[in-house]
Amino acid sequence: MTSEITTGGVAGSTPAARSRVGELIFVGVILAFSIVALIMVGAIREPMGSSNVIGARVVPYAVCALLLVTSAAAIVAVLRGDVGRPDEGEDIDAEARTSWLTVLRLSLSFASLIVVIPLAGWPAAVTVLFTGASLALGAASWWKALLLGAGLGVLTQVVFGLGLGLSLPPFGTVLPGVFGG
Amino acid sequence: MDSIQLLLDGFATALQPQYLLFSFLGVLLGTAVGVLPGIGPAMTVALLLPLTYTLDVTSAIIMFAGIYYGGMYGGSTTSILLNTPGESASIVTALEGNRMARAGRATAALATAAIGSFIAGTLATGLLTLAAPWIADFAVTLGPADYFALMIVAFLTVGALLGSSPVRGLVSLAIGLFFGLVGTDTLTGQQRFTFAIPNLGDGIDVVIVAVGLFAVGEALYVGSRMRHGKLPVIPVTGSWRTWMSKSDWRRSWKPWLRGTAIGFPIGSIPAGGADVATFLSYATEKKLAREPYKQQFGRGAIEGVAGPEAANNAAAAGVLVPLLTLGLPTTATAAIIISAFQTYGLRPGPLLFESESALVWALIASLYVGNVVLVVLNLPLVGMWAKVLQIPRPYLYAGILVFAGLGAYAANFTVFDLGLLLVLGLIGFFMRRHGYPVSPLVVGAILGPMAEEQLRKAMAISQGDPIILVQGLTSQVIYGVMIVLLLGGLWLRRRQRRFEQVDAAAVDTTTIRAVDEELAQQLRDRD
Repeated sequence: MTSEITTGGVAGSTPAARSRVGELIFVGVILAFSIVALIMVGAIREPMGSSNVIGARVVPYAVCALLLVTSAAAIVAVLRGDVGRPDEGEDIDAEARTSWLTVLRLSLSFASLIVVIPLAGWPAAVTVLFTGASLALGAASWWKALLLGAGLGVLTQVVFGLGLGLSLPPFGTVLPGVFGG
Repeated sequence: MDSIQLLLDGFATALQPQYLLFSFLGVLLGTAVGVLPGIGPAMTVALLLPLTYTLDVTSAIIMFAGIYYGGMYGGSTTSILLNTPGESASIVTALEGNRMARAGRATAALATAAIGSFIAGTLATGLLTLAAPWIADFAVTLGPADYFALMIVAFLTVGALLGSSPVRGLVSLAIGLFFGLVGTDTLTGQQRFTFAIPNLGDGIDVVIVAVGLFAVGEALYVGSRMRHGKLPVIPVTGSWRTWMSKSDWRRSWKPWLRGTAIGFPIGSIPAGGADVATFLSYATEKKLAREPYKQQFGRGAIEGVAGPEAANNAAAAGVLVPLLTLGLPTTATAAIIISAFQTYGLRPGPLLFESESALVWALIASLYVGNVVLVVLNLPLVGMWAKVLQIPRPYLYAGILVFAGLGAYAANFTVFDLGLLLVLGLIGFFMRRHGYPVSPLVVGAILGPMAEEQLRKAMAISQGDPIILVQGLTSQVIYGVMIVLLLGGLWLRRRQRRFEQVDAAAVDTTTIRAVDEELAQQLRDRD
């Protein structure tokens, strides 16, 4: 294929080509963002007559320029065949294809916290997150996940809320109404 | 000496029952979380940070010291006991440790790692005790331009050396610097990149950056390519008192000391952190080993566990030198520690030794205590850690997400932070997927604002003349050292990669056992 030297990865040529396109998209987004950010720097207000020699814009310009230059360099590197090597880890199957569905389900499970915490409180939110996430990751039984999630929710509420005094909401706005409290 | 008295006072604080309990708890939790597969030291520290939020400052930093050492140590147990050949080749401890374990010598590997960590940790903390006040005294004389130079050094070395590809490390660093900019500019009070969102006015909390990238990003990434089926965990047998034979001791003590000597200085300069130190120690041991032991390298040589493990822990203490004396984080873990200190209302740096001297010395004393707790806990509890490794993965990563959510929510108690955490997690996911190291990002996010502050101070002093940045002799020396560090570091990286390619070749269990047998036979013949 195009890359003369494989980066030592176990992946064959087809996954490498796929991850090459993926990386180009990823760095491309960063590059585009850095251009937008560079334009946005101009919108930062510089108060007149401030005593500082370096105002509020100088460092943002430098940082956005660095972002632009490095992401452009990364694109060049990828095009020249130096494709990034995916992270390895104990629980990662190097040969497996990316399961986008799992990523989506995990993200949705996590995002549920944003809605459930204000509505139903911390323990309920943990239950939803834990059950959703472990099922997305392939837990065998849903009731076990639900029980473990509920247990973890109550446990963290007791340890962190009561024990350590963090103000985690035990019930949200809806739950008390449901239980008539 | 002055500092000996101060250290004794520190011990008087750290040894109070209440603080001992926090130290104990910190080590226990740090190790337990650090042992979990997929969780490195940085993630351990970030996830356990909320535990310390409501404690008083002294308890919090003492517990935090325990978490730090525990998390550093926990990872080695994972790589020794978890039988995932190939994947762990990048961690040198696993190279020999895992192979020892597969040949039935897991206990010896664990024991030499634990005792080596203890010895190296204690010696390195001793060096820290000696060096820190001296460096702090020197650091007080540094001007803003010198600090700016130091931070530029940290930026470039961290960006280029943490991770395997310098370009990708620098992209990561630049993203981190950008995150550091978000918020209200301290000097002019102007909003920068807040996108008119009030929650971003105070900037993005580094803890949220770290938890999002490490915990949420890791969970998403592992979820996307999860290994299915059971992972064989190597069982731990026998009483821990008999784990190391006489010959194991004889072969271990020199690597322990050499590992300390390598790890501490490398840890205390921004040159890639513990990773480089462990590799250097491994290469040294391999070179110095004499026959018949030399042939065992790559097939479970105890020196290859003892040295790198010692180097790893010595580097962990070394990282604290620039952190405490200069306020300069050189690893992601150190960046999180700095931000933790800031939440406690402390500002690490040369002035900390003067303004909060009792606290600093209590912290240093608790490092010694934490080391003792670590070895006392870890030898008998290893069986329990082995069980932790068997937690079903769906529940493990779901639990990590729960604690990530807790950590982010407990920082400000707004659900906005949870959304931010998810966005950062997705960024972390894509970075992992395409080989971009996340550590430089975290360091950039904390160090960026500090560097900007020093730059503006320096320029205010010189009234806008940029020559001040390179005028002082100290700054010039710092920039000179940077070039040496960068070149040396990149050269080392290249060597490491070549090393790993040679050694990563799969070795099956029978070969390891055969070499082990052969070695035993030769030794018997010799006696």
